[in-house]
This record gives sequence, C-alpha cells and structure tokens, in this order.
Amino acid sequence: MLTYAVKRLGLALAVVGAVIAVVFVMIYVIPGDPAAVALGPRASPALVAELRQRMGLDRPLPIQIVRFYGSVLSGHLGNDILSNESVLTIILGLMPHTLRLILGAMSWSILLGIPLGCLSAMRPGSIFDRITAVLSVSVIAVPAFVIAIYALLIFSIGLHWFPAIGAGEDPMDELYHLVLPSLAIGLGWVGYIARMLRASILDVQGENHVRTARAFGLSERKIVFDYVLRIAILPTLTVLGIGIGQMLSSAVFAEIVFARPGIGKLVYDAIITRNYPIVTGTVLVTTAFFVLVNLIADLFIAWLDPRVRYSLQR
Amino acid sequence: MTIKFTDRGITRRRLLQGAAIAGIAAAAGPKYSLAAGGSVLRVRSYADIQNLDPAHRTGQPDGDVMNCIFASLAVYKAGDTWSWQPFAAKSIKQLDPTHVAFELHPGIMYSDGFGEMTADDAKFSFERMIDPKTKSEYVDDWAQLDHVEVKDKYSGVIVLKQAFAPLWNSTLPTDSAIILPQKAIEAAGGKFDTKPPCTSGPYRIKSWEPKTKLVLERNPDWKLTKPDFDEIHVMPIEDEKTAELGFEGGELDYTWTSVSSIPRYLKNPPAGAKFVRKPSLAYVWMGINQDFPQFKDIRVRQAIQYAVDRKAVVEAAYLGAAETSTGLIAPGLPGHRTKGLISHDVAKAKKLLKEAGLENGFTCTLAILNKAERLAAAQVVQANLAEVGITVQIEPHDSGTFWSLGSEKAGSSWKTLQLIIDRFSMEPDPSWATAWFTPEQIGVWNWERFNSKEFGDLHKKGLTELDPAKRATMYVKMQNLMEESGDYVFLTHEATGVLYSNKIVPALRPDGIPLLSRFKKA
Repeated sequence: MLTYAVKRLGLALAVVGAVIAVVFVMIYVIPGDPAAVALGPRASPALVAELRQRMGLDRPLPIQIVRFYGSVLSGHLGNDILSNESVLTIILGLMPHTLRLILGAMSWSILLGIPLGCLSAMRPGSIFDRITAVLSVSVIAVPAFVIAIYALLIFSIGLHWFPAIGAGEDPMDELYHLVLPSLAIGLGWVGYIARMLRASILDVQGENHVRTARAFGLSERKIVFDYVLRIAILPTLTVLGIGIGQMLSSAVFAEIVFARPGIGKLVYDAIITRNYPIVTGTVLVTTAFFVLVNLIADLFIAWLDPRVRYSLQR
Repeated sequence: MTIKFTDRGITRRRLLQGAAIAGIAAAAGPKYSLAAGGSVLRVRSYADIQNLDPAHRTGQPDGDVMNCIFASLAVYKAGDTWSWQPFAAKSIKQLDPTHVAFELHPGIMYSDGFGEMTADDAKFSFERMIDPKTKSEYVDDWAQLDHVEVKDKYSGVIVLKQAFAPLWNSTLPTDSAIILPQKAIEAAGGKFDTKPPCTSGPYRIKSWEPKTKLVLERNPDWKLTKPDFDEIHVMPIEDEKTAELGFEGGELDYTWTSVSSIPRYLKNPPAGAKFVRKPSLAYVWMGINQDFPQFKDIRVRQAIQYAVDRKAVVEAAYLGAAETSTGLIAPGLPGHRTKGLISHDVAKAKKLLKEAGLENGFTCTLAILNKAERLAAAQVVQANLAEVGITVQIEPHDSGTFWSLGSEKAGSSWKTLQLIIDRFSMEPDPSWATAWFTPEQIGVWNWERFNSKEFGDLHKKGLTELDPAKRATMYVKMQNLMEESGDYVFLTHEATGVLYSNKIVPALRPDGIPLLSRFKKA
C-alpha cells in the first residue's frame, strides 16, 4: 500500500510539472504583451521594455520555465503584474470561494444523484426509472452555463428567491449565495451519478453475497442500502474525483454569470489580460489540487475496497 | 449487523458521516460580517483596483477609489457640462499663462500619523510626477511643469515652462493633482500599489478582498463636506450584462450598462430604478493601415471611406443607442467638428477603385475586439465593402491579442494589420484624442501609421494655445488631416448607460463617470 502511495505521488508530481511546462509554452506562443497591459496605454515604449526585462519576458522560454520551477520550489509564485500582489496570496484568498462552490455542487450531485440512482435501481423499468432516465440525460446534456443563466433569470431576477451576484457576507449569507451557482454546476452531475449508480447497483445485485442476503429474507431496502450500495458506490467516488476537474472548469462560467469571486474567474481574466504570473500560478494550484484529489480518491478506494487492497498486496 | 471493512476501528459509515460534517463546516466557514446598520452604497466597477498611486494608476476603477480616499487640488463638477471646482484647494487662480496660485484648506489630515496637508506636499506630489526617477505613465499631464514655489504652509504657485492648455481640463481636476506627503511616499519606497501608505480623502479603505470586494468607510478626520454614505462597497464585475442582472436582482445601487442595453432601459427601466444615457468621450473608428501594400494607394483607402455606410454600421452595432461621430473629439469639447468630410457614396468608391486599377476588387482582413457590437459593426462594413467588390475577412481577437496588434514592440502583426475597428477613451481635453496619432506614435498606438508632420506640429501647438477659439480651429484642422489621409472612418462616440436605484442621487461627470464620494441619498 505504501509503495503504491509513493508511486502515485511521484506520478502526481510529474503530471504537475508537465502541465506547467505545457502552459508556459502555450502562453509563450499566443500574442499579447503583459508589460503593455500592466502599464496601460500611456506608458512609453521604454517603460514597457524595462518592465518586460524586470518580468524576465525577454529571456528564452526554457530559462523562464526553469526560473518558474525554481521560484515554485522556494514557495513563491510571483506577483500579479497589475496589482503587484503576491499570486499565492490572491489564489489562497479566492480558493475558498471556488472550493465552497465545488463542494456545494458535489453536495447537490450526491444528495440528489445517489437517492435517484438507488430508487431507479430498486424499480428498474418503472415509470419513476424512465422519468429519471429522461431527466438525467437531459441535465447531463445541458451545459452548466446555460443552467446558470436560466437559474439566474428565473430564481433571482424573476422570483427574487435567491441573490443574483456576489458571494455573501456571513456564513448563512454565503450559503444562500451558493445555492444557484452550485446547483448550476452540480445539476449535470446529478443525472450522471444517478445513471452510473443505477447501472452499478444493478450489476452488484447479481453478485453472490447479495443473493445470499436475499436468501436470508432481508428486505430489499436493507439489501440495497447495506450491502449493494457500499460496493456500487465505489466507481462513483472515482468519477467524482475526476469530476473535480470538470467542476473547476464549470466554475469559471458560474463565477462569471453570478459575478462570484473565485479562481475560475481569476484565471479567465488573467488569460484575457495576459497576466502570466496569475495564469501559471493558478494552473499550478488547480492542477495540484486536481491531482491531489484524484490521488486521495485512489488511495481511499484502495483503503476501502478489499479487492483493490489485496490486488496491490499481491 | 455492521460489516467492518477495516481493522482500524473506523467504519465507512462513520467516515462518510465525518466527511459530510467537515464539508458542511468548510462550506459555512467563518469569514467576516458586515456591521449592522448604517448606510451602504453598493456600486459596480468594471475591474478591481490595480494601482492607487497617482503616478502609476492604471484605469478608471483605480480613479473611482482614489477620488474617495485622496484629496486632489481640484475635482470635476457633477453635471452635464465640463467644469471643475476646488477640492483640497480653498482657491486656485491663473496669475498669468505660466503661473497658477493655490491655497489649500487648512485641517486636511493624512491618516497613519502623517500630519496635515501642506503646500510642501503639493510641491512634492506635482514635481514627483515629472521626476524621471518616478517613471510615471502620467508625466505628460504635467508636461510643462517647471516647479512649484511654496509661499507659506498652505499656499504655493505652480510654475510652468510655457502655457499648458490641458492643465485646467485634464490635469488639475484629475488624479494627477492628488497631494500626498513626501514622508509617506518615501516610507513606502518611492511608490505604492494597492496599499496606500496613507489616505486623506472623505473615505478610507476598510477592507479589500482582491477580485471580490473593496469596502470604503467614511474618514472620521475629514473636515470638508461630509459624504452621505457610511460605507461604499465597490464590486468588480467585468461583464456588463452580469452587472445589469445584479442590479435587477437588487444587489447593486449603481452600475454602468452595456451600450446595447441602453434602448431597453430607456424604454423600460427596472422597478425602483432610474436610467440615464450620458454622452461618452470615447471614440470608435475604423482604421486603415496605410503602409500595408494593398492600401499604399490613397485612392484605395478613400474608396473604403466612401463605401462604408457609417450610419448603418452604428445602427447595427448600437441598436439606436449611439449616434455617428464626425471625428475624434466629442460634442462639448473644443475642436468638435459639426460635420465630417466624407459621406457614404458607393459610386464614388467604385470610381476610385477603378482609377486605382482594382475594379475587380480584392480581399482584406478586418481586425476587431471580440465584442458583440464590434462584430455587428464589422459585419456591416463587410457588407458595405462587398458592394464595391472588396471581400472582407473578419478577424475577432481577445483583448490581450487585440491590444498588441499594431505595436512594433509586441511582434510582427503590425506588418500584416490591414483594417481595424478600434476604440479609445479620453479625458475632457482634445489633446487626449490627438496624442495617439502623431508621427512619434507610429507603431505604438498609431496603428494606421498615419504620418503627418503638420498634424504632429499642430498637436504640439494645441498644447500651448490658451485661446479657446484658436485652439478649436487647430483640432478641427487635425481631424480634417486625418480624414483626408484616407486612413480613418470615424464611427461613433458611443454612449454611457447609467442605471441607479431611486434611493440614491448619483454624482456623475458629463460622460457618466461616477464621483462616488459625492453620491447622496435620495
């Protein structure tokens, strides 16, 4: 198990390193001058050239990448070229907003998706199962930003049930502000998890231990929730781990539509303004976060599922 | 019956319960609470603050806040005509073309123990703007400043090298005339960014969450006119449509709107809100790169000028919210032209193309910023030019790419730049409009590569001419030169839509820019 964890950690670090190199190459080839953006239209060409030099943008690409790796290892991600604030400080300030948003979206998808999946699996082919199937496919197919815009128009502007923009002031207000954006991101995942869990439950229901439980005369409800779900939910955990990446990209739209602070909107704005330190810093942090979540999910599954654990021991 | 999956004494159920509780706790984690009571003004800014140093400010979002936390010598008056009023100054007077006397209000205190504002501070602040060591992007605002003479604790004289016409229009009433104490600036290392070493205006910064919200609170030490609101919450919302929805959802008291929303709000403002349309100073034009081989012949450029139906372009792009312009300089400013030189004339365009040997047409590109109104404008231009046989390929760019297209320092795209729809904003002095099109600006901001020595000379003369009538004539001539070059098709000055709650009375410059510290309760 320890060897497995070390190997996975090494792989995770390699992925983060590779992603940073790719991002550097990508932002190097797209046109746009961050120094000119930082100084504004009234800056003289000499001032712009001087800032480019200070930012190290006049150095060859490999040197820029090596310097960035060096500063990352020393715990410094550079400064925002516009405000001169520390990139790490900005990211750490905004990360909780995005984490709350993703956590909220995951909560929606788990709280709605798992019961729907279970109930559908308990009555396969029923009207409820069919309606759930249609709704699930529908919400999976609709992009998060479309859901966000309609949720905003209907529930905020039309009905005034929820706030339209911002992240809230106090904990309860924050939760209140979180409802619509997290629903917009999580709704597609509700359908996805419901369908996946249904299929997984039906699969597990055919296994020997479930048949034995039935033979003992246990209720169907007890069988599903106590014996089937425990195994059937494992693939869902893996998918949710991978889904963090998808939710991070959906968070960009939700943060723009609902004018929420967050790292999704931060990186979007940074790309537009060629604010390279913010782009590289945010990509580094989000990649590390994504890789870490998947690493934890894998280790968690290995820990929970005896079959995986035994296979690793072999 | 409980099945144990581990031998560590933790059941999966307990683990999942713990995770759920931790998740809820994290989601509702404490942050900060707003003090109960008090009056709060909630406004939208199109971007977060970036630099509050008067010498290095980057845009209007900085200016909106700086107006609240610092005291400048003078400020623009709110209203529909351009004028100014003293602010930190008790009086300001032009003694002769090169001398301006001022006297400060006594009792304007800096925060953080930096004492009272004095004439010495004014001398330091203004001379700092022109000090090469400061490397200020706004050095041109004080281009003719020689020095400041200090008369006594509160009085001084600004001494210019020669007369400087923009001084009263776009220097003294702007953030370039903010006064800061030398000790504070030196303590900050000669400059600062988003954390001022001290403040002196009607408000001070209470809190700032980058990219989230800036909270200003009333400065208890401010002795001049007391502001109406206890706090101002400035929310950076880049997207205008999002801001509009935020306003309609009751989350904002004031916002600019998108130009395309102006007709809708004029006709039907949201309940409990008022809407005003303000003329903008910005100018939008289509430029033609005269150094691109296809456009070296002036007849080709003129053909394009005649082929474009400016009225149709502006109508399509702004849906009736904006008027066509006659040049760079907006109505109300000296040098505004009542009429342009070119009118839509397809037959003349075809004739010019024939004379240039291009009666069979050609293909060219039109670069635009990827905004809805620019795309609409480009599509009409495309249709207009198709009528005379020119095939236009529209190339939308994001802002990072777009704003470097014509810059010689940012790559080689300036060589292949052909047609471009562009927009610049400006301050209320005509020199702000013409500054970017001088020969020195070729390859910097003069992307049409318009090269007129006469234009450059007139721009320089315009800066020192104090006679308003003579000055206006110069700027009219300059715009004529631009149009005669064949390089420019002037489109519009756009318009600014301002949406505000009927519970407030906004203080707005004639171009709609807010003067936040002077907003009042209705």
